[in-house]
Amino acid sequence: MRSLLGAAIEEEADVTLVDMEAGLEHLSRSGGTLAYADVLLMIMEPSRKSILTAGRTIALAHELGIPLVYGVGNKARMPEDKEFFESVAAEYNVPLAGIIPHDPDVIEADRSGENMSLEQGLPVRQAVDAIVAFVDKAIAGENPGQAEREALLKERERVDKRLAELSAE
Amino acid sequence: MKIGIVGKGGVGKTTTSALLCQVYARRGQRVLAVDTDSNPNLALSLGLSPDDADRVPVLPRSLVVGTGNGAITPADLLRDYGVATPSSVTLLNAMAITQAGAG
Repeated sequence: MRSLLGAAIEEEADVTLVDMEAGLEHLSRSGGTLAYADVLLMIMEPSRKSILTAGRTIALAHELGIPLVYGVGNKARMPEDKEFFESVAAEYNVPLAGIIPHDPDVIEADRSGENMSLEQGLPVRQAVDAIVAFVDKAIAGENPGQAEREALLKERERVDKRLAELSAE
Repeated sequence: MKIGIVGKGGVGKTTTSALLCQVYARRGQRVLAVDTDSNPNLALSLGLSPDDADRVPVLPRSLVVGTGNGAITPADLLRDYGVATPSSVTLLNAMAITQAGAG
């Protein structure tokens, strides 16, 4: 099926970014192709609450066949926040695409409704540049350990499937 | 390439989405941002005024879900529903997918 917002849109856009405010679960239930992505970035903040549904989202992403799923830590203020994101990434077995620092310029822009000028939010912009560089490499399959990781995930999928077959017999 | 941005409310999805779009746009790539939120937050983050943000046409659910059956091409879709923003990013509003009864 060549859906309009699926592969076909790539004739018109080099990059299509879907802000899945509605949630991956809702988008997939709605039956549209908006739920599919080549790369899924799961944004977190340094709170347990922000990752409550992470497990379900990751499982659904695998079901949908989304090949590249990464975490992004946002609003990091202190070294402990970085450690928090790293431990969550390890817990859920999703690599981190990057960590974005807490930035008063972003808070101020949210408060005033004005957009940041290009001079503002420099640390945040640098972090976002680094995430784009990470995504570039991920698409090219060049991140460290990526090939092995993907091979292991594929193997796990095969093992899970076979185990399910055996227990059904 | 298609990038999906997920996360709980309040974690900064919209701001991060807008900043990512701007990086790709500055590299000269054609960037399409698709918002699935009923609030026009992404429109604002991409530099539209509140009035302009309210005027972004809503993509009909049939076009979000269906194939268009060849009646409409991706180029038509962007011409009819895409809105240029000051960030050089084209915005589509797919909020119909989240409205009551859509699921």
